[in-house]
Amino acid sequence: MLLSVADLIGRFHPILVHLPIGILLLACILNWLSGNEKYAGIKPAISLAILLGMIGAIFSCISGYFLSQSADYSEDLVWNHQWLGIITAIVSITWYYLYHNSASKPILKWSSVAIFILVTITGHLGGSLTHGEDYLTEMLSSPSKAGPVLAAMPNAPDAILYKDVINPIFEARCYSCHGANKQKGKLRLDSPAFIKRGGEDGEVVVAGKPEESELIKRLLLSLDAKKHMPPRNKSQLTEKEISLLHWWISTGMDVTKKIKEIDQPENIKPVLAALQKGTLDEKTIPVTDLPAETVKPADMAVIGQLQKAGIVVIPVARESNYLSVNFVSALSVNDSLFGLLASIKDQLAWLKMDGVPLSDAAISSLTSCTKQTRLQISNTSLNDAQLARFSKLLNLQSLNLVGTKITTKGLLQLKGLAHLKNVYVYKTGITSADWLVIKQNLKGVSIDSGNYSVPMLVGDTTLVKAPK
Amino acid sequence: MTQKELHDQRLLKEAEAAILRMHTRRHFLKESAMGLGALAIGSLFGNCGLNSANTAKSASTSIAFDPAHPLLPKAPQFPGKAKSVIYLHMAGAPSQLELFDYKPELMKMNGQDCPPSLLAGKQFAFITGVPKMLGPQAKFAQHGESRAWISDNLPHLSTVADEISFLKAVSTDQFNHAPAQLLMHTGSARLGRPSMGSWVTYGLGTENQNLPGFVVLTSGGSFPDAGKSVWGSGFLPSVYQGVQCRSEGDPVLFIKDPDGMSRNLRKASIDAINAANQQEYEEYNDPEILSRISQYEMAYRMQITAPEVMNINDEPDYIHEMYGTKPGKACFANNVLLARKLVEKGVRYVQLFDWGWDAHGDNPNNSLNIGIVNKCRSIDKAITALLLDLKQRGLLEETLVVWGGEFGRTPMMENRNGIDAPYKGRDHHTEAFTIWMAGGGIKKGYSHGETDEIGYSSISGKVQAYDIQATILNQLGFNHEEFTYPFQGRPFRLTDVGGKVINEILA
Repeated sequence: MLLSVADLIGRFHPILVHLPIGILLLACILNWLSGNEKYAGIKPAISLAILLGMIGAIFSCISGYFLSQSADYSEDLVWNHQWLGIITAIVSITWYYLYHNSASKPILKWSSVAIFILVTITGHLGGSLTHGEDYLTEMLSSPSKAGPVLAAMPNAPDAILYKDVINPIFEARCYSCHGANKQKGKLRLDSPAFIKRGGEDGEVVVAGKPEESELIKRLLLSLDAKKHMPPRNKSQLTEKEISLLHWWISTGMDVTKKIKEIDQPENIKPVLAALQKGTLDEKTIPVTDLPAETVKPADMAVIGQLQKAGIVVIPVARESNYLSVNFVSALSVNDSLFGLLASIKDQLAWLKMDGVPLSDAAISSLTSCTKQTRLQISNTSLNDAQLARFSKLLNLQSLNLVGTKITTKGLLQLKGLAHLKNVYVYKTGITSADWLVIKQNLKGVSIDSGNYSVPMLVGDTTLVKAPK
Repeated sequence: MTQKELHDQRLLKEAEAAILRMHTRRHFLKESAMGLGALAIGSLFGNCGLNSANTAKSASTSIAFDPAHPLLPKAPQFPGKAKSVIYLHMAGAPSQLELFDYKPELMKMNGQDCPPSLLAGKQFAFITGVPKMLGPQAKFAQHGESRAWISDNLPHLSTVADEISFLKAVSTDQFNHAPAQLLMHTGSARLGRPSMGSWVTYGLGTENQNLPGFVVLTSGGSFPDAGKSVWGSGFLPSVYQGVQCRSEGDPVLFIKDPDGMSRNLRKASIDAINAANQQEYEEYNDPEILSRISQYEMAYRMQITAPEVMNINDEPDYIHEMYGTKPGKACFANNVLLARKLVEKGVRYVQLFDWGWDAHGDNPNNSLNIGIVNKCRSIDKAITALLLDLKQRGLLEETLVVWGGEFGRTPMMENRNGIDAPYKGRDHHTEAFTIWMAGGGIKKGYSHGETDEIGYSSISGKVQAYDIQATILNQLGFNHEEFTYPFQGRPFRLTDVGGKVINEILA
């Protein structure tokens, strides 16, 4: 295949332009300096510098013209850049002519100022063409790009899918390289017509067939893949944004219909709900089983004493001051140890004391630790009267009462714990007869009474044998 | 002189010679030369070591390793949902097409020649020429509110489908057992990397100092093909390697003191060994020696606690019935019950391997409708019981249960050397298989990923070993990209350069 000669010449433009920029600017500087007696010796070089710069400018104009024919650039920018470039070339020819016909000094000086300004502006426009208009100022305004692409849309069903949802996604994630100012791979995504036209490798979308659409494929490639879009260092589309694009392509890329007029398969419904709420960007659900407020670090001496008694005391996370305490390998347990627990009550978030002998003093200390969100007090002598005092533990979310002496009466005392989510009551005094009462009183709490059995099936004890 | 006296005398002489060797002039000179050389090298490379200023920043984000107490519990990077992991690995690779991935279209193609498009450019372990397609060898139905497809090979598990998140489109790039198992558990198909359990105990330590943090239990009559490297510690300190235990008899061999040796004498001998090791440490400063000291101490403590915790016989009868254990025999169900006991007692990572899932169909024992059905029966009740038992004890919330193999099986019937297998069997398949997770902050009753209509390739929700590892670490409170260990001059991580947390299956 023959690459056309014009195209080839055009490709040299980005190299050639540096010649007139450098040489003409040098000529200007030489010209200004030569006014000073000290630098009078450089005068003979000025003429040559102007000549070389002029030749460079002419070749740049020619190659630039071919390049503008072969690539898709924003027409306004190209027009300005092209004509300013041509003017620069003409002014430099004039300057050379004037220089050799010994025009007066002010004229030469003003010519050099004109050249200086022209070269600067033309060069900047050329840079904008290749790197994008916001290339220079990008760094100054970068933080504004983060954040949600789409604000909450309370009336999402009435929104027009393309205009109100798809186009803003393209605008936020793709325009900077595939928009009016820059067309990497000759692809523009800023109007339905451009999207359908595709880029230098052909179509990027196939209406109704998202799996065959290059655009979707590129978005779904792993971040490490060379062809992944957007490039690794640019802000990425969230999964919900991708599924919206997928949906738009799979339903035929309509540009006028409202969301409610388009078929909604099951998998798009939660995404549309998120769109309505403005939560398209939410990725992971934050850990909620810790108190929301921050807390001061616990007394290291107390932690040391607990650890010496064989009790595991560690922060719930490296940066957190909340503590997780486990009695699993406690050497001996006594009331003074529980007293120590009370002195870390602000930090104690998760506590496990499976099978630990309980005294009333222990319960007092335990219930003073009101920040607890997870408490496992299984296989202990805990009774209803003691459990009543747990109603102070307002942050409690998960409570493990397996193998304790509590009954339904005791459990119902926990009615006021608003955050309670899971309670385990396997092997306690709670009977299935009370189930209805418990369900009515502890609404929204998942209560696991255990006693599961796995029935014995014929297959569990027999083997399949090979036919003889 | 009796034999014994002779022996004692020889020992004494050896000891004396050793002491002399320590202090000869020759030894002094040799050590000096080496020592001076080491000093010189040390100053040359002073900036490359782990203690240099360059690594100060990374040290603040990495794990504080205390060689004298390597297994003390540590805080994760962020609050984790899961505290422990039970990983059930079916070594040999179970067939997803007979368990979870229902493909009615494949049944229609049963017995037909495999289309060339599925064979072109592909490599299989045994298939040659043009194999026949093989329809599902089990009956499928949807179960639970989540309408999960599970075959009649797992009637018990079907009842707890709503606890499970299935990953239907797992893929790997290894089609032989050993490298595929290594990839699944160490993040590399080649030897030398630490296993997941080692990483986890390195990062989190373990809550019960009287038990190992990482326990391995095997069943099925054989070790996994990759050998003990699948629970090895690689370049991590050796204290983090998996401790292989037995579910019958002594959990750890030679854990009992031999007859005639009292507990005090044992203590005295361990103290003596540790004192010698301490001296050695003071001379060489090798942290591995401190680890060794702590291991001796742990072994001493384990002598008391391990037989108690690791004895499943003191569990009530109804629990044994629930799991379907076989008292007195080594079997998967016993291991599963033991795994629950260990997790209950604060063991961090329990790794089970059950061998015998390699369904090639070259004999009845590995055929899909005979031997593999029996394998399913041997795990079904126990796994179901495990999920329910953890749930009723309130432990499923913080225990991540993972089930899977090292790869999947082909939709084609195996035709080793071009001859159809005498029984129904499938070859190794890398492009699509099923792994499931439950508990530990994983979504209940969910299915992620799809395969094509014959179960050959993954078409959506494709995940790999690295993604599963990243997800497991995430549930334990680690960002897999920041959880590293410096080795040979660069930080290493479990997921190498890959891995993406599978957010879809997180609750």
